[in-house]
Amino acid sequence: MLFSSVTFLFYFLPVVVALYFISPMCLKNGVLLLASLFFYGWGEPRYLAFMLLSITQGYIFGLLIEKYRGKGRTKALLTASVLFSLLLLGYCKYADFFISNFNLATGLSVPLLKIALPVGISFYTFQVISYTVDVYRGTVPAQRNYVDLAAYIAMFPQLVAGPIVRYADIAGQLRDRTHSLSGAAMGVRRFIIGLSKKVLIANQLGALVAVFKESAEPSVLFYWLYAAAYMLHIYFDFSGYSDMAIGLGYVFGFRFPENFDYPYISRSITEFWRRWHISLGAWFRDYLYIPLGGNRVGKPRWLFNIAVVWAATGLWHGAAWNFALWGLLFAALLMMEKLWLSGWLKRHRVISHLYVLFLVMVSFVIFDAESVAAAFSRISAMFGGQAMPVLTVESVYYLKSYLVILALALIGATPLPKKLAALAGKGRYTRVACHIAEPVACLVLLTVCTAYLIDGSFNPFLYFRF
Amino acid sequence: MPEKRKNMALVALTCIFLYGFLLWAVIKPVDAQSVSERRPLAAPPAASWDAVFSGKFMTDFEEYALDQFPLRDGLRTVKAITSLYAFRQKDNNGVYMQDGYISKLDYPLDMPSVDYAASRFRYVYEQYMEDKDMAVYLSVIPDKNYYMAEEHSAPALDYAGLTAALRDRLDFARYIDIFPFLELSDYYRTDSHWRQENITDAARYLAGQMGVTLSGGYTQSLAEVPFYGVYYGQAALPLPGEELYCLSSAALEDCRAYDYETRTYIPIYDPEQAEGRDPYAFFLAGPKSLLKIENPNATTGKELILFRDSFGSSIAPLLAEGYASITLVDIRYISPQMLGQFISFTNQDVLFLYSTSVLNNSETIK
Repeated sequence: MLFSSVTFLFYFLPVVVALYFISPMCLKNGVLLLASLFFYGWGEPRYLAFMLLSITQGYIFGLLIEKYRGKGRTKALLTASVLFSLLLLGYCKYADFFISNFNLATGLSVPLLKIALPVGISFYTFQVISYTVDVYRGTVPAQRNYVDLAAYIAMFPQLVAGPIVRYADIAGQLRDRTHSLSGAAMGVRRFIIGLSKKVLIANQLGALVAVFKESAEPSVLFYWLYAAAYMLHIYFDFSGYSDMAIGLGYVFGFRFPENFDYPYISRSITEFWRRWHISLGAWFRDYLYIPLGGNRVGKPRWLFNIAVVWAATGLWHGAAWNFALWGLLFAALLMMEKLWLSGWLKRHRVISHLYVLFLVMVSFVIFDAESVAAAFSRISAMFGGQAMPVLTVESVYYLKSYLVILALALIGATPLPKKLAALAGKGRYTRVACHIAEPVACLVLLTVCTAYLIDGSFNPFLYFRF
Repeated sequence: MPEKRKNMALVALTCIFLYGFLLWAVIKPVDAQSVSERRPLAAPPAASWDAVFSGKFMTDFEEYALDQFPLRDGLRTVKAITSLYAFRQKDNNGVYMQDGYISKLDYPLDMPSVDYAASRFRYVYEQYMEDKDMAVYLSVIPDKNYYMAEEHSAPALDYAGLTAALRDRLDFARYIDIFPFLELSDYYRTDSHWRQENITDAARYLAGQMGVTLSGGYTQSLAEVPFYGVYYGQAALPLPGEELYCLSSAALEDCRAYDYETRTYIPIYDPEQAEGRDPYAFFLAGPKSLLKIENPNATTGKELILFRDSFGSSIAPLLAEGYASITLVDIRYISPQMLGQFISFTNQDVLFLYSTSVLNNSETIK
C-alpha cells in the first residue's frame, strides 16, 4: 500500500488512527503490529512469511545472545542471526544477479530463480541486524515481548522505505511514549508536506522522466532535462516518503530519525552523504565501516574499507552492476576528497556547489540506467557524444511545460522555504497570519494532492524496489 | 495559546477531511459510469481467498476506490486547474488548450502504424477492386493538432510525411487533398471531430474531384442539448457546452440509412443520441460497421463505397445528394474478409477517407 494512495489516506489511515487512539496503552503496540501486517499484506500477502520469519529469528537470537552473554557462544549466535538475515536477503534480492553473472563467466546456463523482490526487505533486514548486533554489543537489552519487537520492525510508517530506525533509538518509546496535540499537529504537518513533495513534485518529474524514456526524438537538451528532472525526482520522492514516515511517527508518539538534510546544498560529496539517506549512511558506518576498522588503520586498508562500504551501499540499492558502479563512483570521490580535495573545495564556494550538483546528477544517471552500457550511453549523449540535435520541438516543449515545477523543486531542495517560514514566525503580525494560514494551507495541499491522486497518473515510489 | 489553537485547527481540519471522505465514500451509492470520461466505473470487488492471496482483490479495490471517490469530477477539475494554471504546464495528461480549442498531443509520426493501415487498405483493394472498373480515391483529414500545435509550441505529426507515405503505398488510389479547405474553426472546440456545418466546401471539393456536383442549399438545425465533446471530459476544465448543428436539404429529406448490424433503417440524424454518452453519434448513430445511405431522389445511378472512420459520419450525408447510394464501411468494426458477404463490388466509386489520428494509431483497424 502506498502512502500516496486513496486506499491508504481515506480508508486505512483513518481506521487505524481511530483504533489506535481508542485502545489502551498496553494494546497500542498490538494495534500497530496488526495494522502493519495488514499494510504489508495488502500489497504483498505472500511475502508476509519472509518478514515474520526475519522478525522471529531476530527475536529468538536476541534472547539467546542475552541468555548466553559471557558464556562464549554469543558471537556464534550473532553470526548465525546475521547470516540468516543476509541469506534471506541474498536469496530474495541477489540470487538471480549471482546466477546470471555465474552463467556469463562460465558459459553455463543455470536457470534463474525469478523471485519477485519482497517490498522493503532491504529495510527490515537491516533493522533486524541492527537489533541483534546492538543486543550483542550490550547497547540495548533483548526485547522479551514479541509484539513489541515485531511492532518495531514491521511498523508501517517506516517499513517499506525507511528511515532505517535503530532499535536503540526507539526501544524506550515502544514501552513508554506520550501522545500530544502538538505531536499530532507536527505529524500531520510533516505528513502533508511529504505527501505534497511526493505527489505534486516527484510524481510530476517522474512523468517527465517517463516522457523522456519514451521519446523517439532524443536531443542533448532532453538528456540534460532528464538528468536534472531525475535528480530532483529521486530526492523529492524519497525525502517525501521519509517526511510522511516521520510525520506518522509523530502521530503515533514516536520520534524517528531524520533521513534528509537538504543534500543538494552540499559543498562536497562527503557532506552530501551526511545529508542524503542519513539513516542508511549511519547504518553502514556503524555496522560495516567501523567493524572493518574504519579510518583507524593504515591508509591502504582505510581506502579498502571505503571501497567495500560503498560497493555494499551501491548493491544495497539494487542487484545490478550499475548500482555497484554508482557506489564505487562515490567511493572514488570520497577517497579523492579525503586525500586531496577537501581543502580546495572549502576555499571555492561556488565551484564546490557546482561540483557536487554535477557529480550527483551524473551518478543518478548511472543509478537510473538499465545497464552500465546504457549509463555510459546516456552520459555520452549529455555531452553531445552521439549524433543527435541539440534541441527538438519536443524537448523545448517539455522544458517549458515543466519549468515551474523544476523551479519549485530547485527552491524546495534548499532550506529557503524553511527559513522564510521561520522568519515569518518571528514578526508580530506575520506570526498571527501564519497561525491562520498554516492549517488552511495544509488543507489546500491535502485537497490538491487528493485531486492529483484521483486523476491518477504516475505514482510509484522509487525506493520500494530496494 | 495561539500555537495550541493552530494545532487544534490543523488536526481538526485534517480529521474532518479524512473521516468525512471516508464516510462519504462508504455511504455513497456506486456509480455505474462516468459521464464526463465516457467510461464505466469500477464496481466493488468480490472478496475471495484466491483474490486476496493473489493480490487481485487489493488491485481491484484500489481501482474501485479511485473510480468511486466522492466529488471525483470536481477533484479532476482541481487537478487540471492546478496543473495548467498554477504549475503553468502546457498540457494536462496530454490534453492541451489553445485559443479556446482543446486537443490531445499525438506525435511522432508512427510509420509502422501508417504502413499497417495502408496494408489493410491495399488488402481491400486487391481483394475486391483490383480487376474491376472502379475509381478509387484517397483523402486524409488532419486532426486539430495540425492547426494548433505550432501556436502552442507543441510537438506534432509530420503531416506531409504521413500523406506522402500513404499516397506512395496506395498508388492505386487518386489522392484528393482537402487540407486547404479546412481550418481550426471547422472543428468543435471540445471534440476531435469536424463540424458538419463548416465542411460543406470540403465536401463539395471532394465530390467534385470524384465527378459529382453538390448543389448545397442546406438548412441548419440546432440540436436541443449542448454538445460536450470527447476532450471535454479528458480536459476536466469548466468549459461551456457547444452548439451541435446538422444540415438538411431537399435532397437529403428522403434519404434513409440502412444498418446492416441491426437490419433496420436508422435516422440520418438522431437527436436522442445527442443526449447519450457519445453525442457525436447524433450523425448516423456513431460507431457502425456497415451502413448504406439510400437516396431515392438521385439523378444519377452512381454509387459510392466510403471506407471511413467517425469523421465519415458527418460528411456522408452531404455527399449523399450526388449518389444513388453510399455504403459506409468502418473496418475497425468489421473484418475486411467479410465484406464480400454484404457488398457486391462492381462499378462503384470508392473513397478511403481517414483522419490522421486513426492512421497514426491504426491498431484498431482489422
